[in-house]
Amino acid sequence: MSLLLTRALASFIFFGLLLFSSTDVRAKNTLSLDDNNVNEKPLRIAVASNFAPTLKKLLARYNAKQIKFPSPLIIPASSGTLFLQIKHGAAFDLFLSADRERPELLTEAHLVLIGSQQTYAYGQLALWSAKHEIAADPFTALKNNKQRLAIANPRIAPYGKAAKQVLENLQLWDSYKTRFIQGINIGQTFQQTRSQAVNLGIVSNSQLILNNLKGVIIPARLYQPIEQQLLILKRSQNIPQAQRFVTFLMSETSQQFIIDSGYMKLSQEKNKDKSKENTIE
Amino acid sequence: MAELMPELMPELNLNFTVQHDDFSLSIDEKISLTGITGIFGHSGSGKSTLLKVIAGLEKQANGKLSLNNDELLNSEAKLFVAAQDRNIGLVFQNSRLFPHLSVEENLRYGQKRNKNSVLKFSEIVELTQLDKLLDKAVTQLSGGEQQRVALARAILAEPRLLLLDEPLSALDDKNKIVLLALLTKVKQTLNLPMLYVSHSLNEIQQLADKLLVLSAGKVSHHGDIHHVIHQLTTNHDILHQTSLSLTVKEHLPEYGLTSLALGEQQIFIACDHEPNTEKQVRCIIAAGDISITLHEPIESSIVNHLHGVITVLGKIGSTDGRNAQMLITVNCSGQNFFVTITTWSTKRLSLTVGQRIFIQFKANAVRSLR
Amino acid sequence: MNNTHPDILALITTLKMAGLTTIILMLIGTPLAWYLAKMQSRAKVFIEALVALPLVLPPTVLGFYLLLVFSPQYLPGQLWQQATGQQLAFSFSAIVIGSVLYSLPFVVQPLQKAFEQLGDDLLEAAAMLGASAFDRFFTIVLPITKASFITAASLGFAHTVGEFGVVLMIGGNIPGETRVLSIALFDHVEAFDYAQAHIISISLVISSLVLLSLIYLLNRPAQNNQTKSKRVN
Repeated sequence: MSLLLTRALASFIFFGLLLFSSTDVRAKNTLSLDDNNVNEKPLRIAVASNFAPTLKKLLARYNAKQIKFPSPLIIPASSGTLFLQIKHGAAFDLFLSADRERPELLTEAHLVLIGSQQTYAYGQLALWSAKHEIAADPFTALKNNKQRLAIANPRIAPYGKAAKQVLENLQLWDSYKTRFIQGINIGQTFQQTRSQAVNLGIVSNSQLILNNLKGVIIPARLYQPIEQQLLILKRSQNIPQAQRFVTFLMSETSQQFIIDSGYMKLSQEKNKDKSKENTIE
Repeated sequence: MAELMPELMPELNLNFTVQHDDFSLSIDEKISLTGITGIFGHSGSGKSTLLKVIAGLEKQANGKLSLNNDELLNSEAKLFVAAQDRNIGLVFQNSRLFPHLSVEENLRYGQKRNKNSVLKFSEIVELTQLDKLLDKAVTQLSGGEQQRVALARAILAEPRLLLLDEPLSALDDKNKIVLLALLTKVKQTLNLPMLYVSHSLNEIQQLADKLLVLSAGKVSHHGDIHHVIHQLTTNHDILHQTSLSLTVKEHLPEYGLTSLALGEQQIFIACDHEPNTEKQVRCIIAAGDISITLHEPIESSIVNHLHGVITVLGKIGSTDGRNAQMLITVNCSGQNFFVTITTWSTKRLSLTVGQRIFIQFKANAVRSLR
Repeated sequence: MNNTHPDILALITTLKMAGLTTIILMLIGTPLAWYLAKMQSRAKVFIEALVALPLVLPPTVLGFYLLLVFSPQYLPGQLWQQATGQQLAFSFSAIVIGSVLYSLPFVVQPLQKAFEQLGDDLLEAAAMLGASAFDRFFTIVLPITKASFITAASLGFAHTVGEFGVVLMIGGNIPGETRVLSIALFDHVEAFDYAQAHIISISLVISSLVLLSLIYLLNRPAQNNQTKSKRVN
């Protein structure tokens, strides 16, 4: 009987300690602020992998500028994965997709805070070879390449879809049809091109800049803009923080930083014809 | 019955060492391969390893080995004939029958792989009494039946030498008797040289004509079986006994006795079955079963009394330095007999070397071996 | 290739890859398993660990290193190019080689266990009856360990069919060459074509269940030749 009692006591103490240690210590240390409704948990930002490095740098700036909120958490993954997770209840506050489709689908599913869906960056395509110098004119380079070409899968990756448009516009799609190495996303395409197992690849300019590499920027007129959109999730417990962050992200300084990191200027796109919308295949 | 090809002076020539972590075997010996040579030793003496080297299953032997002038091992010349090419058979302690083959398929396994097959399948099956078991699955057989199949299988491969590594050790007493009888029959019908390893001297005594004794990795005795038994007796290594082969003089079935000739004397042994056609009987007499008298014991119920001369008075030492027993060697008509009696009696009768005396032992004391 | 439904093409590619991989694995896995079963030295532990590595490594790790090694930057890729004139990375050969490495333990381990269980007794007896090494293998080892061979081949095949991570890294998603079912499935999910995804998934689940059930059925304890049951890895 005493053994049972000892065990019960031990369990009680054990679980008590467990409970105690699991409460957020940080929450206690944060000074209480003017806004009593502010949730002091860090912001959870789901971001498409290709934008993650840029986001990390932006985050550093964000944190340097403010001490009010705890540092946001970044969850990088493929847009598709994050989309599915959000659809099935993942507890993110903010979603930075690599495309426009998924944010739209989430809006349709009434999971999005009305009005929060907006474009935060425009992807920029570049032609690159890890093996040799390529002609300054992408058309020449693509035409002269008789071997394989790495692109992201046009069916599932926004950068791939754009790459297809480029090739179609250059009348080179048919000749390349059997010569593709398709990556599941632009990240893999970059990696494959880098391995030198393919001569040439259509990658994101942001990847080249991040790695101090030099490629040839593909003119914007050859493809529909790769709109990367963000949204705030309706069920977020952290909406004020999220809005603050979005404001920061969309500020001029941040936007310039994004462009410098290898994305396209927003203003350029304001002049473009946006009548052609991307449709879900 | 077709005989296996007889070799002229079949001989096994051994000159090698085997070194394992905790054990070493060193042999330099010629073994003549007529009949059965028993190999006796205690556990760890190296007898199984010896067989394995001869069989070609022990790769770490260093030296030379040849069978009938056919070199099987020569370390210097980097020669090692693989086991499957040696044409030597081996009956293991466990029958090692192939479980996925029937009894008949097992039996034929070796025969199929012998290019110069002479033996008739049916004859061996009859000899080993396996005709009823041919279709059975191996798992349906008893231990004794399995060993019979193993023996027949080895024979059917027609080896020029058959090794037996403690083939009876795993059997119960009843089956041991059956297998021993079978082995004797095999010995008599086929001209197949055998090396029989056992830790049971009794088994060897029943089968072997020659005996090789291994002790701690070396050969300590090798020769005619009776001779070696007597050596072992004299060295107090085994139960003191007299080992002999004698010819039958006459049968006395009405008294259940058979008399064996010993020079001009005779020995009576108990014979409780129909006298068979055996001419030679091998028997042993425990030294403790023989007594010594100074005068011929005519009016005694003890059937056997022989006159002889004391040749050796040996002391049997005990741990405390005293000796209560003596081992006395008596020569009767040219045959040595070993007798153990108390030292006290030896003194009392004033026994001396060279003295003429009588030894006596009951008919029942003579244990005949087949 | 033009008229085949892309998923049927993916299925054919998958079967070709898994079939070839299984054949290669049985050919190299059997002597390897034999060697491991009979080996006594200290090196055995190390080699066993090497063989078991694909069991614990994330497939993407294997794929990552293979991508490097197959590319023209490194020796193996270069040698292949010299020998065959074709590039090794992003080819059918590449995913076969990757699958062979990835599924190796699934073939070697059941075989090794079976050979160990068999022991030396029967083989020694067969040798004494005049059977050579090959003879012993085909007349004693193979018939007795038959079930393990079937298990090994089935596991190797099934495991290869289900492979994703390695093929993803070194395949390049080329229809008819490296676009296998698992990749096609992923594509459909990413493109929101759930109907097609379901078709592929359910087919894979059912066929895997059937195959595994057969394997376990084969390995039940009451087998005529074995007294112990073999555990399938």
